[in-house]
Amino acid sequence: MAGSGARAEPGGRACGKRPPRRSVVAWRSKAEWDQVMVGLYCGDCRLQRDALDRVSGWRSRYGHRMPLAVDCTADLIHCKILDTSGNMTSHELVLSYGLALVRFVNLITERKQKIVNIPLRRLAKEMNIPIWIVNLRHDLTHGKLPQLVACQKGCDVVLEWLRRTYWSRQLGNSLARECEEEQNEEVETAATETEVDSDSEEAQNPQPPGYQKHKELHEKVRELLVSYKNQQFGVLQELQSLRKARKAWCNSSSEVEWILAQIKDLLQESREVVAEALLDDGSLIPTVEQLETLNIKCEENKQLLDFKIPQTFYYFWQPLLKGLQSRNFTQTLLEKMFADLKQCSESSELRPQYLINWVAEILTANTKAKTRRKKRRPSQSQINKRKLFHHRVSLQWIKLIDECLEAPCWATPHLLQRILSDMEPPLPSDAQENLLYLCSIYTQEGGSLSSPGSSSDSSGQPIYTTESLQWKARQESQTKGHRVERRETVLGGVGEEEDNGEEEAEEEEMEAEPMPFEELLHVDNMMVIAEKRAALHGSIWQISADGVQWKDFPLGKLPGQTDDPDSLLVDSYSMMSMLDQPVTRGDGRNSPSTNNPELNGAVMEGLLWTQNDLHRIKSGLQLF
Amino acid sequence: MVSISSPVSPPQKLTFTGKCRLTCLYGAVQVFGFTITQEQPSYDLFSPQTHCALTIEAVTYETLEKSKKEMRISARAMLRAHRVPRDARIKLMKSFAPLCSLVLLDGLDTSVTRFILNHPEFSHIFRVKRQRGSCFTPEDAALASAGIGKRDPESGLLLSESSVSAIEELIQACREEDDGCPVILVCGPKSIGKSTFNRYLINLLLNHLPCVEYLECDLGQTEFTPPGCVSLINVSEPCLGPPFTHQRMPRKMVYYGEVSCDQDTERYIDTVKYVFNSYKKEVPLVINTMGWVKGVGLLLLIDIIRLLAPSHIVQISVEDFKDMPRFTPEYINLAAGLHTKGKLQGKCKSMDVSGMEDWKQYEGESNFQTSTIGHKLLCIQPKFPGAGNAGEARVHSSILRDVAMLGYLGQLQPLETRSVLPLHSLIPYQVPFNAVALRVIHTDVAPTHIMYSVNASWVGLCRILDEVRCQTDGPVLLTQTPVCDCLGFGIIRGVDMERMLYHILTPVPPENLRLVNCLLLGNITIPNCVFTNQQGTEGEIPYVTSEYNYDISGAGKLKMKKHLKRREHSRS
Repeated sequence: MAGSGARAEPGGRACGKRPPRRSVVAWRSKAEWDQVMVGLYCGDCRLQRDALDRVSGWRSRYGHRMPLAVDCTADLIHCKILDTSGNMTSHELVLSYGLALVRFVNLITERKQKIVNIPLRRLAKEMNIPIWIVNLRHDLTHGKLPQLVACQKGCDVVLEWLRRTYWSRQLGNSLARECEEEQNEEVETAATETEVDSDSEEAQNPQPPGYQKHKELHEKVRELLVSYKNQQFGVLQELQSLRKARKAWCNSSSEVEWILAQIKDLLQESREVVAEALLDDGSLIPTVEQLETLNIKCEENKQLLDFKIPQTFYYFWQPLLKGLQSRNFTQTLLEKMFADLKQCSESSELRPQYLINWVAEILTANTKAKTRRKKRRPSQSQINKRKLFHHRVSLQWIKLIDECLEAPCWATPHLLQRILSDMEPPLPSDAQENLLYLCSIYTQEGGSLSSPGSSSDSSGQPIYTTESLQWKARQESQTKGHRVERRETVLGGVGEEEDNGEEEAEEEEMEAEPMPFEELLHVDNMMVIAEKRAALHGSIWQISADGVQWKDFPLGKLPGQTDDPDSLLVDSYSMMSMLDQPVTRGDGRNSPSTNNPELNGAVMEGLLWTQNDLHRIKSGLQLF
Repeated sequence: MVSISSPVSPPQKLTFTGKCRLTCLYGAVQVFGFTITQEQPSYDLFSPQTHCALTIEAVTYETLEKSKKEMRISARAMLRAHRVPRDARIKLMKSFAPLCSLVLLDGLDTSVTRFILNHPEFSHIFRVKRQRGSCFTPEDAALASAGIGKRDPESGLLLSESSVSAIEELIQACREEDDGCPVILVCGPKSIGKSTFNRYLINLLLNHLPCVEYLECDLGQTEFTPPGCVSLINVSEPCLGPPFTHQRMPRKMVYYGEVSCDQDTERYIDTVKYVFNSYKKEVPLVINTMGWVKGVGLLLLIDIIRLLAPSHIVQISVEDFKDMPRFTPEYINLAAGLHTKGKLQGKCKSMDVSGMEDWKQYEGESNFQTSTIGHKLLCIQPKFPGAGNAGEARVHSSILRDVAMLGYLGQLQPLETRSVLPLHSLIPYQVPFNAVALRVIHTDVAPTHIMYSVNASWVGLCRILDEVRCQTDGPVLLTQTPVCDCLGFGIIRGVDMERMLYHILTPVPPENLRLVNCLLLGNITIPNCVFTNQQGTEGEIPYVTSEYNYDISGAGKLKMKKHLKRREHSRS
């Protein structure tokens, strides 16, 4: 029937040189992706459930194109939630876990299959999936049903595999490519290389050898750090003057460069290990002896509340930190610092102090690097050398906030504020306020964690309870109407100022061309719109308000809409079955006005909030 | 505007790629089965690389003029009337011969094609590929100036003998008035040329009839609508291009929301039944069916045949029906369907369907007309190479769907302008959350997160009979998927969470739009190029990233390997 002829090329996958390839995904922004990733893996049922709900939205957007790993992760997390709910018998749980696990093994290996079937075991080995997971699958499908514990363990191992193989390598990893700075180029190429053969690399280290490898790596980094310190101390010994030494440290020598290059190499293997080694005693956290050598007085740094690392020590480490700065590593280092801070009890004195100050320094340096980049002048080169960072890197802010709040201490409000003020895209200002507010309540009285009772004893301070927060939330929602109006009027100006450098040039080009013709079109358009308006008179359908510069807003975004990943949450909805009256459903789970028994329970027990409470409050924040 | 005109006389043919507007100045030509004579208006011809090329063919015609001189005079008058320059006129008239035809080809640029071509992914679809070795003749230059390029005659429609005789018989049946209106059902596996056959058949029928009706049951490759719907459309204009050039408003349409019905065959049958009920048997009906003719698909097709009771079945098949059984009246009578039983085998239901333990009699059995009269079976073997081999199809079906959707969205472009307005710059409509019901067809979405699925999505704009009333400002979620009229499609341009409004871009005219009270969201997504081609906007483009790495394990979608072979025994 149909004609023949040379087969035409399929719709023409744009073969032009337009790197990087842009793909369409289900999440609106990276922030949404981050939020879901953190939610799924946070261990808090409620947040996990929220993340699963969001994934249900993704599933609808993706249809059949849903990434396998996301699907599998969601199914497994769902099983875990069912498990913790305690409403299911162990047999039921085995069935749920079982299907999720079978699907994982089958689907994830599917792509590696060739025309002739390759045994699952071999594929699993190639992909570094423990062989007992494959055996578990076999039992589930062909053999005796395994016990619940085996399934639970399998689920945990697979979730961890997914986290390692998919979640933490996706989006985050490729971010390095964005830094256009020349310094990162070599790192970048190295990074892509490891990415390619990472499968085979990972294949070599199943669990116990992996630990061994971790240890070896740690040792290597430690040795390099020792030679770095020796190098720096050597300089000091030679110059016999702290002032001169500081200057010399900044103009890093070839030896330092070489050490740096080696550490960078190791960075490719594991950022975590390098960060860990850096935080060992004697490195970024000085020993008392080191401080003495550098002539830094202990009392001095103990009382320092300005969040600064003593100058000499700062310059001692500056070349190294500067050299290692990258989007990924800086993120890892900060996370490790927060994690470390969480471990610290108040007893050890230097460690928390230095951790806090380093976090503050790194955040500040990053912010300053941003502002300076625009007005870079050659005369500043000497000053630049002393700065911690050349350029600004964009961090995973939401994750940082999480980490920061995970490690509450007296300095948390300050650190949080640094993060919030640097964050991009920024949280809505009221959310920022609330977060800081809550954070300061939690850590108030300069009182630290050790004295939870103190806040209730304290005289002048008001006592905050969840009720008062709820009251505040209600008040805020009443004034919401006003705020909307205000936001709309400012609209025109806001967007343009916020542009980040990279896109500016592009935009200018775009805007130049279509203007004149649009003017011509305007009159015609008005006629058409007027006609449509007349035709819609009295209908629920309307022409959207004119005066909006629609062309400035991509599909899926409206004027005044923030990038807050929670901004599309619906708090009330009604269900309607056909030929039936719609039934109004209660407000969403996130509404702070609902009486959450758990939340109230926490209040009755006392003011000390658990991690979970804090999580819960964080997740409720978007509604203020 | 460039125009060329040339005299052609039978059996001269011009097979071409490109697009142009054809006016027949004198005589008659046939394009894809449709005869264009000098009395008729101009027709737009679209012959992209993605589909079978069009052929302009000179045909014999009856002349009113008696002498050769009279013919020349009237031909010259037509040329003059169409402002053909004098020197060209003289040149043309030199080669004028009795029974030749004169056609005028103009460059063609519609707002729809302009919109499609504006996407880099599709900018080449009308581009002419030069054949290697052939030199560029003056004729080529003339054709190129009209926007077309000559192709081998073999790249045009190739009809096998079986198809010619089948088509003759069908035309005969449609012209016999006392026989009632034939209902012609066309079936066959994927990529076998069903759509091409349908277009050709419709064009031939339109030579004799003012209009025919067309029932679209193929969700994946719809002829006149965006994908995912079943529709009944009254066709009075010939199909002189692929689907994306003739997106039209059907008489009745239901949005099913998937490109395949395998997940919910009952709703599919309901949908087909609902749409078919609007057919009034006043004009012949051509029915297109799915290419899914194996396993459950075959059973479903048998159901559909029983339900629609066609008078003629055109069965297109390669290799002597290895791919599916012959649908003789006896076979259809006896075979078990998915939801229907065959006669004489009411008890032995064990038959073939795997896993259909809950085999039940279809509820509305009374609606199934028992086709005791039987139908006429017309079997066709296609002639073109690669027929029926979906893997070798010219273009992947999902790309055809994308371009069809672009064709639909192209209707949003203002007619008068020469340049293309980006979608996101157009002024949308708005409607309150609580004024329209909402339903995600293909998956369950947590109600509080519903807007994450709705935002920047493709929606069917539908009308349910129930009144949408609601006490809250929030969205109204339907608990089940309705089978209801769909009046068109749109893109949710944005959701205003403060004012509780959907902003929607749609070419549906306002007088129809005001009837819309239900939004259906299915498994049909906005073509990726619509997202990635947005330019000149502020900030990051939602849902677009260049950082997603598809090389990581699990980053891709589930891919079904159909030809997977086992080590020991290969599947047949």
